[in-house]
Amino acid sequence: MEVLQHLAAGFGVALSPTNLLFAAMGCFIGTIVGLLPGLGPINGVAILMPLAFAMKLPPETSLILLAAVYIGCEYGGRISSILLNVPGDAGAIMTALDGYPMARNGQGGVALSISAWSSFVGSLIATIGIVLFAPLLARWALSFGPAEYFALMCFAFACIAGLMGESPVKAALAALIGLSIACVGLDSNSGVYRFTGGDVHLSDGIQFVVVVIGVFSISELLLMLEQHHKSTGVITKTGRMMFNTKEMAQTWWGTVRSSVVGFAVGVLPGAGATIASAMTYSMEKSLTDTEGTFGKGDIRGVAAPEAANNSAATGSFVPMLTLGVPGSGTTAVMVGALSLYNITPGPALFTQQPDLVWGLIASLFVANVILLVLNIPLVGVFTKVLSVPNWLLVPGIVAVSSVGVYAVHATTFDLVLMTGLGFVAYLLRKQGVPMAPLILGFVLGDMMEQNLRRALSISNGDAAILIASPISVGLWMAASAMLVLPSLLKLLTKKR
Amino acid sequence: MSDRLLGAVCVVVSVAMAWAAQDYAAAISYEPVGPRAFPLLLASGLSLCGLWLMLRPTAGAKAFSAVPWQSTGLCAAAVLIYAVLFQWLGFSLATALMALPVGMAFGGNWKQSLTGGIALGLVMYLLFDKLLDVVLPTGPLSAVLGGS
Repeated sequence: MEVLQHLAAGFGVALSPTNLLFAAMGCFIGTIVGLLPGLGPINGVAILMPLAFAMKLPPETSLILLAAVYIGCEYGGRISSILLNVPGDAGAIMTALDGYPMARNGQGGVALSISAWSSFVGSLIATIGIVLFAPLLARWALSFGPAEYFALMCFAFACIAGLMGESPVKAALAALIGLSIACVGLDSNSGVYRFTGGDVHLSDGIQFVVVVIGVFSISELLLMLEQHHKSTGVITKTGRMMFNTKEMAQTWWGTVRSSVVGFAVGVLPGAGATIASAMTYSMEKSLTDTEGTFGKGDIRGVAAPEAANNSAATGSFVPMLTLGVPGSGTTAVMVGALSLYNITPGPALFTQQPDLVWGLIASLFVANVILLVLNIPLVGVFTKVLSVPNWLLVPGIVAVSSVGVYAVHATTFDLVLMTGLGFVAYLLRKQGVPMAPLILGFVLGDMMEQNLRRALSISNGDAAILIASPISVGLWMAASAMLVLPSLLKLLTKKR
Repeated sequence: MSDRLLGAVCVVVSVAMAWAAQDYAAAISYEPVGPRAFPLLLASGLSLCGLWLMLRPTAGAKAFSAVPWQSTGLCAAAVLIYAVLFQWLGFSLATALMALPVGMAFGGNWKQSLTGGIALGLVMYLLFDKLLDVVLPTGPLSAVLGGS
C-alpha cells in the first residue's frame, strides 16, 4: 500500500503542467531522434542533457524529459524499420525483418499501429515491473557497504564486456579508458591534482557533458559520413492505418511474453533493448511460427520485438534507480545528468528523493500514453522527418551539441576538448571498441575508486574485505561467470 | 591501423599514465590507499589489454580502408574550427561558417549548405537565446541580435 501512496504522489509530480509539457516535448523529440537512422536514444539523451541543465529545469523535470526521449526513441526506431527497411535505432533491427515486408504488401499502416500498440504494452508491463521490484531491490541494496558496491560495479562491467560487442578485451579497454578519464582532476581525499598537466581548465576534472557529446555526437556524425543508404525506398502507401481486433488477438500473448522477457533482460546490466528484441524474435519464431511466415511479413514478428525493446529500455531504469549503477549507456548518461545537479543515485534515492524517483516512474506511464497518442494518428508527421536532408540535419546536430557544451561552462576549451575527444572516439569505434563501457567507466570512476578506498580504509588495507561478505562473493562469482560464459558458449557452438 | 597498433598505443599510454601517477602522494596520509593506487591499477589493466591486442589481434587492417578520409578530415577540421571560433565569432556567424563545409560533405551543394547554415544560425539563436534562456555568444553581430 505504501507503494501506491508513493505512486500517487509521483503522479502528482508527473502531471504538473510543466512536467507534462516537457514529457510531451521529450516524447516528440525522442520519436524523431529514434526514427532518424544513425541516431539512437543515447545520442538524443546525450545532446539534450546539457540543454535541460542550461534551461535551469529542476532535476525531476530534466529527468522526465530525458526518460521521455529515451522511451520515445524506442517507439520511433520502428517507423524507419517498417517504411525504409533501415532501422532507426539498434533496438529496431528485428522489427525490419517482418515490418518492411508488411509495408511492401500494403500493410504498412497496420504494421505501424500494431507496433505502436505492442510498444505501449511492453513499456506498460515494464513500468509495472519497476513499481513492483524497484523498491524491494533498493531496500536490499541499502545494506551494501563499500566492498559490496565495488564488487557490484565490477559485475556491471563484466556484464557489459560479456554481453556487448564481439571482443570482451576491447570492452574492458573501453571501460578502463573511461575510468582513467574520470581520474583527471582534483582527488578530493588527498587534494592531489591528477593528470591535469598543470592546466586550470582540467583541475575540476573533465566535464561529463564534454565527454558524452564528444563520444556520442561528434564521433557519431563522422561515422554517418560512411552511410550511403539512399532514401528512395520510403514506402508511402500504407493502406489501412488501424489494426483490427483479430490482429490484436493474434499478437496479444506474444506481446505479453516478449514484454516480460524484455523487462528481465533490461534489468540485467549490459544487455538492453538490442539483445532483448533479438531474443524475443527468435523465441516467438520457434514458439508460434508453424507455417514459416516469419520474415515474410508476419504481424507477430513485428509486435514481439517492439514490445521487447520498449520493456527492456524501461527495465534498464531499475539498476540505475535502485543501485545507482546504470546498466546501459543511455542510463549512464542519465546518471551523469543527475550528477550535474549534485544528486548521486543509489538506494538512498528512494527515501531521500521520493519526488524525483516516483515522479520519474509515474511519468513513464504518462509518457507512454502520450507516445501511443502521438504514434498512431500522427505517424504521418513523423515520416515527413525522414525527408530532411543530411546536409541540413548534420550541421544542426553539430550546432545543438556545441550549444549544450557551451551552455554548461561557457569556455572555448570545453568545445575544443569535445572535438578532440570526438575524433579519438571515432578512431576507437573504427577499431571496434564499444563506447557504452567507456561512458559507464567515466560515470562510475569516482564512485568506484571511493568505494574501493573506503573499503580498504575500513579493513586498514587488508584486501580480504573485498570478498568478506556473501553478497560480494556472489557478485564476484556472477561477474566471472559473465566474462567466461559467452566465450565458453562460443567455443561449444563452434565445436558442434 | 590494426589491433596491433591500437594495442601498442594502449601500452604507451599506460606507461605514460603510470609514470605521471608515480609521484601522486597525499601530504598527510590518513588512509591506507592514497591517490596513486587507483590510477596505477588502471594503467596496469590498460597495458594488459594492450598487450593482449598486440599478441592476439582480432580485426585485420580492413576497418579503415572504406573511410572517406577526405570528407571525414574536412568535417573534423570544420568542427574544430567551429569550436575555436564559437565564442569569438558568435553563434550565428560561426554556425553558418561551419555548415558550409559540413553540409557539402553530407551531399548538399554550396548554395544549399550556406542558406541552411544561415537559417540554422538565426533560428537556433532565437530559439535558444530568446525563447529557452540559454545564453549564446553573439560576437560581432551583437548590435543586430541585441545580445548582452
